[in-house]
Amino acid sequence: MLNVRELHVSYGGIRALRGVSLEVNEGEIVTIIGANGAGKSTLLNTISGFLKPAKGELEFKGHKLGRQPAKIVQLGICHVPEGRLVFTNLTVRDNLLLGAYLRTDRKAIAADLEKVYALFPRLKERERQLAGTLSGGEQQMLAMGRALMTDGQLVLMDEPSLGLAPLLVKTVFEIIVEIRKLGKTILLVEQNAFKALEVADRAYVLEQGKVVKSGRACDIAQDPAVRAAYLGSKSVAGGM
Amino acid sequence: MVQFLQQLVNGLSIGSVYALMAVGYSLVYSIMNFSNFAHGAVIMLGAYFGFYSLTLLRLPFGVSFVLAAVGTGLVAVLLERLAYKPLRERRAPFLYFIITAMGASIFIENLVVATIGPTYKTYPAVFGQGPIQLGALSIGRIDLTMFVVSAISLTALMIFIDRTKMGKAIQASAYNMKASALMGINTDRVIIIVFALGGALAGVAGVLFGMKYLVYPQIGNITNKSFIAAVFGGLGSLPGALIGSVLLALIETFVSGYLSSQYRDLIGFVILIAMLVVRPTGIMGKSAEDKA
Repeated sequence: MLNVRELHVSYGGIRALRGVSLEVNEGEIVTIIGANGAGKSTLLNTISGFLKPAKGELEFKGHKLGRQPAKIVQLGICHVPEGRLVFTNLTVRDNLLLGAYLRTDRKAIAADLEKVYALFPRLKERERQLAGTLSGGEQQMLAMGRALMTDGQLVLMDEPSLGLAPLLVKTVFEIIVEIRKLGKTILLVEQNAFKALEVADRAYVLEQGKVVKSGRACDIAQDPAVRAAYLGSKSVAGGM
Repeated sequence: MVQFLQQLVNGLSIGSVYALMAVGYSLVYSIMNFSNFAHGAVIMLGAYFGFYSLTLLRLPFGVSFVLAAVGTGLVAVLLERLAYKPLRERRAPFLYFIITAMGASIFIENLVVATIGPTYKTYPAVFGQGPIQLGALSIGRIDLTMFVVSAISLTALMIFIDRTKMGKAIQASAYNMKASALMGINTDRVIIIVFALGGALAGVAGVLFGMKYLVYPQIGNITNKSFIAAVFGGLGSLPGALIGSVLLALIETFVSGYLSSQYRDLIGFVILIAMLVVRPTGIMGKSAEDKA
């Protein structure tokens, strides 16, 4: 579904990605793990068209991806950005409807809105509230719901568990599995490697802009080097 | 009591036109985070567009308004395409935008001086003579027009921003450009619309000021007042721009009426400075974190 080949990206004078290749197949949950600054967010922002690759190719369902974020959304890639970036000055409902900005099929939009509300009953309760009044966890749900409203088939998620309380972290990962059940494909970037490897089918380990390891998530989780570098003791990783 | 009401009426009339100009500053600021100091030059062009529509083309009053609004809307968009877009694409620091805006303003002003000339021009009398008497109050026909036209234009703007899909896209982009692009919003188009809206309202304001006072190349300096009003109300906030404008105009007319018009601007600027010291974000402005 998504093919990234030999991607080189410089960002702020730093060569953030140095020849990254990866693929995501339909229906998969693929995770990219790695330390802060390994280039995980750069990769997602390049896929979404915000950064210009110096070299390499990006292909989604046979289409080459360019540098126009709106076109990439139209092709079917949605992106839950790091820090959620919900529109705090608008209501929950307006946030969700903005997700459907490019869609004109009113009935399908209404149906998807109900689906999102079914997935996140909290959002339904707070439909008329300004998004800025939501808690961090609720804002994360809103950011996910908003991305789902674009009806994209591939969902990019950038650190969805960042800054959330442990109980909410657990919920977020349960939701990721639920979103896959809706027929979506997920590319998940996470610092919480332990949780990410638990829900993912496959994983890539990114270090200083390069893929140093890839494989089935369960194998990566057992890899001694990965365990030492990213998993540490379970309790620490799980509690982050 | 009559004097109080009279000043109130005068203040509302002037304040509504300040608001018309202030929302132009606020709209651009909310999306692009810089103060478009070329706004005054656009208003000046609006005054000339209206003047020539009435005198040269001999168009009806209403049509002249529309023509001026369309003309200045186009000028504002052109300004964005030629002057600001290249800076955006190079991710230039916001100071460069402000300097470019000032340069554009000086350029347009001098272009008018060089082509049309520096002389003052008087709008033809569109309305009947004499003010409208309302009991002891007398309301100038032009003042009434200023208020009504501004109120209608601002209401239309508010409905557009609040009720339409594009309006929501503008609000979303004002919060965060990246997030709105992730919704599939063409943020470049949002910027064009914002300049077109601000420019069109500037044209309407230009015609109103031209009618009220005179038309001359420096008439755009009057936007200093609306800029103060926009900062006072909170740059980037439309309700803030409205409240700030009306408050500033009321303060001005009451100072002129009860003290002396010589103190008018003095007090206006003192309020601006005091506001910046006490509450840098203005009455309704967004805080720095909100903007992130």
